Amino acid sequence: MLKIIKEYMEKSWLLIVSAFVFGLLLALTNTAWSGKIEQNKIDKLNGLMGSLITDANKFELAIKDAEIDLGKGKIARSDIYEATASDGNTAGFCFRAEGTGFADKIELVIAVDAAFDKIIGYSVLASNETPGFGDQITGDYFRKQFMGAPVGTLNLLKKGDNTKVDNDIIAISGATVSSTAVVNIFNNYLEQMKKQVAEKGLIK
Amino acid sequence: MAANTMTAKGALVGGLWTEVPVLRLILGMCPTLAVTAAVKPALTMGLSVLFVLICSNIVVSLMRDLLKPHLRILMFTLTIATFVTIADLFLRAFTPQMSEVLGPYVPLIIVNCIIIARAESCASKNGIFVSAVDAISMGIGFTIVLCILASIRELLATGTIFDIPIMWKSFVPWAAMRLPVGAFITLGLMLGFVNLLTAKKS
Repeated sequence: MLKIIKEYMEKSWLLIVSAFVFGLLLALTNTAWSGKIEQNKIDKLNGLMGSLITDANKFELAIKDAEIDLGKGKIARSDIYEATASDGNTAGFCFRAEGTGFADKIELVIAVDAAFDKIIGYSVLASNETPGFGDQITGDYFRKQFMGAPVGTLNLLKKGDNTKVDNDIIAISGATVSSTAVVNIFNNYLEQMKKQVAEKGLIK
Repeated sequence: MAANTMTAKGALVGGLWTEVPVLRLILGMCPTLAVTAAVKPALTMGLSVLFVLICSNIVVSLMRDLLKPHLRILMFTLTIATFVTIADLFLRAFTPQMSEVLGPYVPLIIVNCIIIARAESCASKNGIFVSAVDAISMGIGFTIVLCILASIRELLATGTIFDIPIMWKSFVPWAAMRLPVGAFITLGLMLGFVNLLTAKKS
């Protein structure tokens, strides 16, 4: 037994020592920079929320880890933030939402009004959609259709009036998958989020 | 111990001309095609690869006498993965927007053929000085090619370089240059041009 251990150590001591040294180096680096990385994420989220609800002067965590049933046994968790205006009234709610796009996961920040009745808008937190096609989900043509749309089930149409604000969203030409993905994210999250906000007594 | 096979001068010329990774060895195609739609991400990727190459070549060179054949590739991967993780953490901490633009391509440097090839063919057989020179020249050669490719694509796709408008007002941007097809066409033309130059010289 000792002979086997000795042989094993002779063959692999360099790997064991290196793994320990490199692991220590990574732990030290992560400790030094993790605070800054976390702060960058918070700053980005705050920046996006602030750009969506412009009359808010602070965002506070209202519900931590709200659960969203995505179907097929998949559960997503997302924090809900309450935006407060300078007069102390609620200016709206924001939350992160995600779904599967054409190339990769699409992450959005969605803002709704104080009564959770209308969508204020959305910003794209992360997306790897096709340049020139799917990445137009960040553009005004598509985003403006959601601004003021009622909280409820949204329908994706291939043709129609994109300036009319209602439940019908007109798809981006040549990027139906990305358009569908964004609409699905809204349909998955909006009503479930509204229910949980209502249960907490945050809306009347 | 393996015999020294390279000189510092040979390593310097190799990385910058005779063995430029992308154009001569056709290595590192994945980041070359993926992150060259604009100059900023291409430069960031080039500098990240340069950092990882220098660190991994030096460490592999330091441990070259201790490397057992059965552990060689494992040790290379462990070393490279460590420095790639440090580069990734650095970008996420200090240039978060660029980190998002580059997406998975920074962590994918772990499996970049250029770095593994240099660890195997140079650092595991040569001293620290030659290995460092090799890493610097290979890294700079790679970065220059990425930046040239990205400059052409960005200029034709958006009329800018480093987001600064260069082209005339009536210029119509070629959207296709932002797409993978633009990367393939530009790289193909660059390879053809270099082959033409080499053929004439020889």
